[in-house]
Amino acid sequence: MAINFKKMVVGRHAYAKAWKERGGGKILGYFETYFPEEIAYAAGVLPVRILAEHEPDLISDKWIYGACYPVKDMANQLLLGRMDYINGLVNTEGCQWMFNAYEVVTNNRPGLFNHYLFLPDYTNSATSKDVLRSELDVFKTKMEDWTGNSITDEALDNAIEIYNKNRVLLRRICELRRAQKPVITGSEYMHVLLADQIADKAEMNVILENYITELENREPGRDTLRLMLIGSETWDSGLEELIESSGGNVVIDELDNGTSYFWNNIYPQKDRLMAISLRYLDRPHNPVKDSNWRRRPEHIFRLAEDYHVDGAIIQKQIYCHLHGTDNYAVWRLFRERNMPFHYLERDMFVPKEETALRIEAFMNMLREGATRLAGWHKKALI
Amino acid sequence: MKNQRWETKPLDCWQLAKEIRRNYDKAIAGRDSVLGQGNTSFTIDWQAAFPAIRVVEDNPVGAMMAAQDEAFARRARLASEVRGWGREICGYHNTCWGAQFLGYTADGKPFPERQFTVPFPCVCDSHIKRGQQCRDYKPIARWTNDFTMYIGERDEKREEAMLDHRNFNTLKQLNEMETVFGQKLDDETLFELARNCRLLKQYRADVSYFMTFTPAPLSVKDLYSFFQLGSLAKIGPELAVKFWKTLRDEVEWRVRNKIAAVGSERFRWIEAHPPSWHFLKYYRYMEQYGAVCLGSQYTHFSQSQLERKPDGSIDDREYPVYSPDMELTTREDVVRFMTGPDARAPHHFKIDEYLRPFALNEFADIFAADGALFGLWRAGVGCTLTRKEQAMRLRQAGYSVMCYEGAQSGDRVDLDEKRMLEQLDTWMESLGLQKLDE
Repeated sequence: MAINFKKMVVGRHAYAKAWKERGGGKILGYFETYFPEEIAYAAGVLPVRILAEHEPDLISDKWIYGACYPVKDMANQLLLGRMDYINGLVNTEGCQWMFNAYEVVTNNRPGLFNHYLFLPDYTNSATSKDVLRSELDVFKTKMEDWTGNSITDEALDNAIEIYNKNRVLLRRICELRRAQKPVITGSEYMHVLLADQIADKAEMNVILENYITELENREPGRDTLRLMLIGSETWDSGLEELIESSGGNVVIDELDNGTSYFWNNIYPQKDRLMAISLRYLDRPHNPVKDSNWRRRPEHIFRLAEDYHVDGAIIQKQIYCHLHGTDNYAVWRLFRERNMPFHYLERDMFVPKEETALRIEAFMNMLREGATRLAGWHKKALI
Repeated sequence: MKNQRWETKPLDCWQLAKEIRRNYDKAIAGRDSVLGQGNTSFTIDWQAAFPAIRVVEDNPVGAMMAAQDEAFARRARLASEVRGWGREICGYHNTCWGAQFLGYTADGKPFPERQFTVPFPCVCDSHIKRGQQCRDYKPIARWTNDFTMYIGERDEKREEAMLDHRNFNTLKQLNEMETVFGQKLDDETLFELARNCRLLKQYRADVSYFMTFTPAPLSVKDLYSFFQLGSLAKIGPELAVKFWKTLRDEVEWRVRNKIAAVGSERFRWIEAHPPSWHFLKYYRYMEQYGAVCLGSQYTHFSQSQLERKPDGSIDDREYPVYSPDMELTTREDVVRFMTGPDARAPHHFKIDEYLRPFALNEFADIFAADGALFGLWRAGVGCTLTRKEQAMRLRQAGYSVMCYEGAQSGDRVDLDEKRMLEQLDTWMESLGLQKLDE
């Protein structure tokens, strides 16, 4: 029977609790996809991404001003005890608003295990790999002290193998999206990714292998307009679903919790921590880590070409200053290379009618007659 | 004078400060130097050791543009937003780099394009991205670095790699600048700058200390007039030391003789971060209530910090630093001296509030404050993070706190000035204070 990833995401709290009951050990919540999960996993800990969701929020305004809504929601959920199965929190240096949620929660729950992991924003200095390796060593020791489990080379090798396999499986699914008529929609793919970030990777790998078999036997999907999704992280598949209902499909993304999460592997070496350090410094970067020479726009364009997209949707969470500083460079490159794009600002949710109208108009611009708005501009002229 | 409680008089060193500033403005206008984007003031002013390198920071440039010409600042913001810069980017940057896109400054002169960028590592994300704006505009030399941080007790061993990382990048930058610009960095001057930097810091720290006294000998509005001399306004190390010693001595004299900045002082308040630079008149407005602003961590903690000692006295907070007598024989030595032995230094206002959540409560206590006024900046992540928490902690400790909203210190777009003054009236009246002339 086909696995329902959306259900997995919705039921993530129950999943985590059940994992714990099975004798799995401690659960560590993390905010950034730059968190080196492998080390926690090697200590027998389940790393769980803190996912934002939409819940009427009566708390976070008291503590936080000006942050994006997902960050406020994360603080809200954690303060309300929605994730009371979490034994600790770790923040990897990255988005400052995420840090805001981290420090609000840890200041309010002083007993909660917590760790701040420095990951250079200047990722490509000659010394970046060394400082990150050193930080990973500190974190490794802290994990050992916290869990009482020694993190051996064998345990690290095992974790690296499981995580690498997970990335390969996600990439295999992603490759299926290159087809003219992809067997998987953008919304379904986003659920796979979100589910992957809350699950035990060893268990997830089995699920993904079965899922790939299922996908390979599926009938080809629709031949639709092919869109790319870029920008701030999204926490559900609302935008993808809206695009699909308008007759398009997101065939590739450049989101921190999208393809950037799994795009590169760890290349094993004797110094395991150095191998992990190099992987995280070499991954496709979000704006805060792409702070020296700009590499991100080129990576985005390459994805757009490789996945044969007709146009891109650039969406930014309101208050996301990091994407606010990067959009200029992305816009400029797209304009230089004749890649159509549509830009929108969003909240946790996208306003359905307004966004649908804008996306339909954009799609109609890409291919006249693609949406129900075909010819609307001519009628307007009359 | 009616309602006067303390003797008051203008500062004697005003004329000296004005003259220094005038000379500085004239000197940079006529100087033929390679112009770069960045900041050097938190460590030592290394640019002075190059024959013709000048580093300017976009923060004061953007703030000045917004303060001097609202219409131009709006044009500049539009020029950046229409190209994709977000609305919630720090106003300093949006305005400064918007002018770069326009190609001219408020007075119609060509925008001085930057020829390189150097880092201003900071915990603020907007600062991390800084320098890309002018690098995107045209291909210029670029160097960068990290602000290394973590939360919790100091861990010297953990910091070793962080310090190596910072030192390596700084040394690389200085060495490469020589090659790229064909200018020799004078190591002797660099050593001299390193030896003297502690003196300037101490004078500035003394001024902060004297402001803890009642009546306050200096208000923050006064202090902001001198704030940049020797930091962002590179007037030269000798002159900077001379000026700050003069100011320090005068402020000490005022304390000894109870000469107040505001003769009617009866309410002392603090802030947390930069004010709205185009609207500093609210400080004078508050003086009508006999309210004097003592400043903030931003004002006082860029060079050193004060703390309440166990015996109740107030003195410098001690952080690990190298001795000024440290032997400096190579450029690498100076770089290590500049960075210092503490990977989380400088402990300015932002890092301080992360590492010590109750830092502002201690600040309020040290400055004998009655209340606090906080700007909540929609477009300033570094200037806003922790502000609401700080307000709660102060309220819990019995301080009266008022918050107002705006875009950012260097951006006048969203600040409703009239509303803010009305809020101030309400705040003061809620505390039983009426304007003294009413």
